[in-house]
Amino acid sequence: MSILSISNLVKTFPREKGDDLVAVENFTLEVNKGEFICILGPSGCGKTTILRTIAGLENLTSGEIKVDNRVVTEPGSDRGMVFQEFALFPWRTVRRNIEFGLEIQKLSSEKRREISQTYIDLVGLRGFEDAHPYELSGGMRQRVGIARALANEPAILLMDEPFGALDAQTRNQMQNELLRIWQETKKTIVFITHSVDEAVFLADRIVVLTSRPGTIKSIHNITLPRPRSRASPVFIELRKTILDELDAARST
Amino acid sequence: MFEGVKDFFSGRGRRLGKLSFTDVLISILGLIAFVIIWHLSVIILNTPYLPYPVEVLDAFFRSFSEIDPITGVTMWKNLEASLNRFLVGFLLAAIVAIPIGLGLGWSKIAETAAKPIIEIFRPIPPLAWAPFFFIVFGAFLGPVLVIFLGVLFPILSNVIFGVKSVDPNLLDAAKTLGAKQTDLFLKVIFPYTVPFLMAGVTIGLGIGWMCIVAAEMIGAEGGGVGLFIQNMNAIGRYPEMFAGMAVVAILGIITVGGARYIEIRLSKWMGVSHK
Ligand SMILES: Nc1ncnc2c1ncn2[C@@H]1O[C@H](COP(=O)(O)OP(=O)(O)OP(=O)(O)O)[C@@H](O)[C@H]1O
Ligand SMILES: [Mg+2]
Repeated sequence: MSILSISNLVKTFPREKGDDLVAVENFTLEVNKGEFICILGPSGCGKTTILRTIAGLENLTSGEIKVDNRVVTEPGSDRGMVFQEFALFPWRTVRRNIEFGLEIQKLSSEKRREISQTYIDLVGLRGFEDAHPYELSGGMRQRVGIARALANEPAILLMDEPFGALDAQTRNQMQNELLRIWQETKKTIVFITHSVDEAVFLADRIVVLTSRPGTIKSIHNITLPRPRSRASPVFIELRKTILDELDAARST
Repeated sequence: MFEGVKDFFSGRGRRLGKLSFTDVLISILGLIAFVIIWHLSVIILNTPYLPYPVEVLDAFFRSFSEIDPITGVTMWKNLEASLNRFLVGFLLAAIVAIPIGLGLGWSKIAETAAKPIIEIFRPIPPLAWAPFFFIVFGAFLGPVLVIFLGVLFPILSNVIFGVKSVDPNLLDAAKTLGAKQTDLFLKVIFPYTVPFLMAGVTIGLGIGWMCIVAAEMIGAEGGGVGLFIQNMNAIGRYPEMFAGMAVVAILGIITVGGARYIEIRLSKWMGVSHK
């Protein structure tokens, strides 16, 4: 069952002089409920732009985005977003960062506390409720970012290179954590990454984009059972195929 | 001017109020050296205009109990008069500068419209207005308005800068969490601006304090530390004149110290640095 449907998405940005810059061209994708989608593509091909348009942070030039059959025109609580640079509110504690969306929904403080505690436990931050972001490591900050997005109970989680700022070891750990959270919450995830390895490890389906203007080059179904082993021959083969494709996209 | 603010958000703050014993000792030795040099200067210069440190110290303490022959009040009254002007002018400036700064930082159109006006008035030393304000607004409001102008611009420009430097990622994050314009303003932009505002307040305090003494020397009634300095100079009581200057220095230290204290409390409240 499709929960997110993007048809013929085009996004252009005006330029100082000359014609508009076409960031995304004719991007069409149906995402099923509960699916884990990874979008891969060369740098500057429009991945962030696609995600921001789905989030409603950017107006599309033409085409249509629907979530649960409703047309997207602005940010909404059905879509949560996780940022590469975490984007936590530095003056708020872990708990109050997670409660931000709940405050805006005007929930009572007891209700907020109940919900935030659920997600603090889910992402493994028990004991750090009253810490401020600057006191946390990068991995822990992104746990807050994930919990904050989930606390609003969106159907879809949009993640823009969420582990891009983390070291390799933390990154692997966070990938496992994310898979666990995904399986527990049954969210639909659209995940952007530069890393083929990360995409093959996480995704149900990988969407490979061409270089700018970004449009779909290929789609790979990853049927490898989880937990996936990076050393398995199928994993290595898939990674190589997609890497070659990306190299080709980069050089065109 | 804004370098402290970055530390503020990253949590790497300056360490305040943590002086070691040797630091204190060295500072005291520095002060003693200063007093000795001062004392020797009086001997060498041998002019009636520069009194000995002990004379100033004596005049300082006497000024709080004796009434001075011109205004007929003690230093306490002068202090009270100056502080009143200072507080009213300072608060007035904060009340005006904060909302206007938030608005100008947020609205490009408003800022473009206001910019020429601000740029015309900013370079004029607040003191240049003193004679005009004194004649038009009288002995109380006149000096108050000089302070108002002195404090207004540092707060205004810091708040505008603060709003403009709000991390766009934070605004996006708030929007995806359901924030509308009012929420963005109250829950993201305003808190983000607070450390910038405090930096402006600290600068404003220093400038305001300088303004008040000078403004009182140009025109004031009913006492004031500036007036006291002026009067003592006029009747040739130089130890008293220097004692007045010492009072100004002490009050300046107290007000800036107070601003620092508030800054620390605020940063604790906001959960950044100064642990
Ligand atoms: N707000 C904007 N105004 C103008 N041009 C923009 C804007 N946002 C993105 N672009 C341009 O659109 C193109 C796609 O940018 P986008 O950030 O979506 O790429 P990306 O695939 O996320 O890149 P990266 O892999 O480096 O994150 C780039 O050429 C970029 O310069
Ligand atoms: Mg990007």
